[in-house]
Amino acid sequence: MTETKKAKGGNQIIRLALILFLVSAITSGVLGLVNMLTKDRIAEQERIKTEQAYNAVLPYDGGYTEVAFDQEAWPTVDSISAAGEEGWVVELTFSGAQGSITAAFGISSDYTITGASVIDHAETSGLGAKITEQDFTDSFIGQSEGMAVTKDGGTIDTITAATISSRAMANAANTAIAAVKALG
Amino acid sequence: MNLKQQFKEGLITNNPVLVQRIGMCSTMAITTTLFNGIGMGLSVLIILTCCNVAISALRKVIPNDIRLAIFVVVIAGFVTIVDLLLQAYIPALSASLGVFIPLIVVNCIIIGRAEAFCQHEPIGPSFFDGIFQGFGYTVVLVCMCLIRELLGSGTFGTGIFEIVNGALNVTLDGSAAGIRIFPEEFGATILIMPFGGFLTLAALLAAMQYALRKSDEKKARLAREAKVEIPAPAEATAKEDAE
Amino acid sequence: MNVITIALGAILMNNFIFSQFLGCCPFLGCSTKVDTAVGMGIAVTFVMGLASAICYVVNVLLVQLGLDYMSTLAFILVIAVLVQFVEMFLKKSVPSLYTALGIYLPLITTNCAVLGVVLLNVQNNYDFIESVTYGITGGLGFMLAIVLFASVRERLQFADYPESYEGFPIALTSAGLLALAFMGFSGMSIT
Repeated sequence: MTETKKAKGGNQIIRLALILFLVSAITSGVLGLVNMLTKDRIAEQERIKTEQAYNAVLPYDGGYTEVAFDQEAWPTVDSISAAGEEGWVVELTFSGAQGSITAAFGISSDYTITGASVIDHAETSGLGAKITEQDFTDSFIGQSEGMAVTKDGGTIDTITAATISSRAMANAANTAIAAVKALG
Repeated sequence: MNLKQQFKEGLITNNPVLVQRIGMCSTMAITTTLFNGIGMGLSVLIILTCCNVAISALRKVIPNDIRLAIFVVVIAGFVTIVDLLLQAYIPALSASLGVFIPLIVVNCIIIGRAEAFCQHEPIGPSFFDGIFQGFGYTVVLVCMCLIRELLGSGTFGTGIFEIVNGALNVTLDGSAAGIRIFPEEFGATILIMPFGGFLTLAALLAAMQYALRKSDEKKARLAREAKVEIPAPAEATAKEDAE
Repeated sequence: MNVITIALGAILMNNFIFSQFLGCCPFLGCSTKVDTAVGMGIAVTFVMGLASAICYVVNVLLVQLGLDYMSTLAFILVIAVLVQFVEMFLKKSVPSLYTALGIYLPLITTNCAVLGVVLLNVQNNYDFIESVTYGITGGLGFMLAIVLFASVRERLQFADYPESYEGFPIALTSAGLLALAFMGFSGMSIT
């Protein structure tokens, strides 16, 4: 009696597992299809975003060439690209108030900032997210190493109620210049 | 159940946030600009409607023992599809909502509706349930956004509306600066911060409870009056008799 | 050093409830008594730590297979199975805790703090140690929040507030005030 019950229970479990497996398989199939259709577009969007950021911080027509740097010494720096003789674009990922921020800084050949642009961030919209606004990023232009936000006695605008995000950006700008200087 | 009834339930009497009190995480977290609120609301509406239809269609096949697991798989599937589509076509919204888009998977509204409604009802009503419940959720999000944005930073419709050279400009890429109602310095920035999320939702819930209580009281009073009216003539005649 | 920064951040500066709004449903639902709040906190911490560890491995696998678009689906399945497993384990080995937690255990599956921590681990590119640290300390932050809130809530019945605020609204308002207090931690940094 108990044996047949057990066998029945075993069958039941197999049946349930099969149904669950089937549903999961169909879902995965559909997801794979959607992924195939959107993959290129997502990659394209990412590329456009990065390209726009690069062009915004240091306009250069000749094409940016990535240069090698000491990744051990500059853990927050993702890449440094040279824009001919004009200068460099440094891309960094660092922590902001809520999550990581990815930003690009343009640096001229005399080591001043030519522009800043945020590529990706997870800051609160309406507060820390204001680091993407031009009013804020423009305050970096023409600055050189040793930048600090106004709240710390520096010259970079502090966004109201988003000191941490603003400070993170200022620190990143300093890191960017230092990393470029270290290239020699 | 007719459509009008379902509409009223989704929007007021059984509103997912204000009455069922589910899905509150995203309600408080992302309602800082109108762009976020509408984007999130519509995403949930679409996912909820799709899930409702799918689960209702499968309701006779899904074994009761593992229904939750199947619901979760179906929901996660639709959420990922919407997530990928947003990344591809409205990247600004995807960046702005961040982790809260995949988190729709565990938004209790969707699994709650599946459990409470779709596993018993045919496809038609489930479809409209998804639309109306999603709409009710969107309306609450939009209210939260309008209040927090206006009082917090003094703007209206950040990310969607802006005035350029005196003309109203509507954008869908989230870059619009919003219409300034009063200078930013006068805004209570605290309302944009987490505290403001809790406070605004509390105020909305309290307003809803007030409204529901008033309407209940009114109904009770009407019912009482209706009841009183019937014995009244008998009493009157009794009095007349006595006189 | 990084681990300490992550830990303090998850507990105080970026508390899951008060700053990121992750896990609000159980936070509001299971906080009427301090005892249940402690139990819930322990269970969530445990599941968050384990989920972070397992999902880290799952994510590495998915990325290598080029299937990272499936991550949300995979993570939620891992969490669901994990919660089921924890439930069976507790039922057999620690029945007292199992009965104390009761219906809250299966609810952890739909706790957005658990899925949230896993997704944030991926988003922030944490390595294994950092992921587990973030998971466990995020859970501890959740526990701190829910226990504090439960003790406030137990005293709410003696408070005098407008009738319309009865129940959820007054609870939310007090949670907001706690969030305000936690805001004092933001801006703290360890260098």
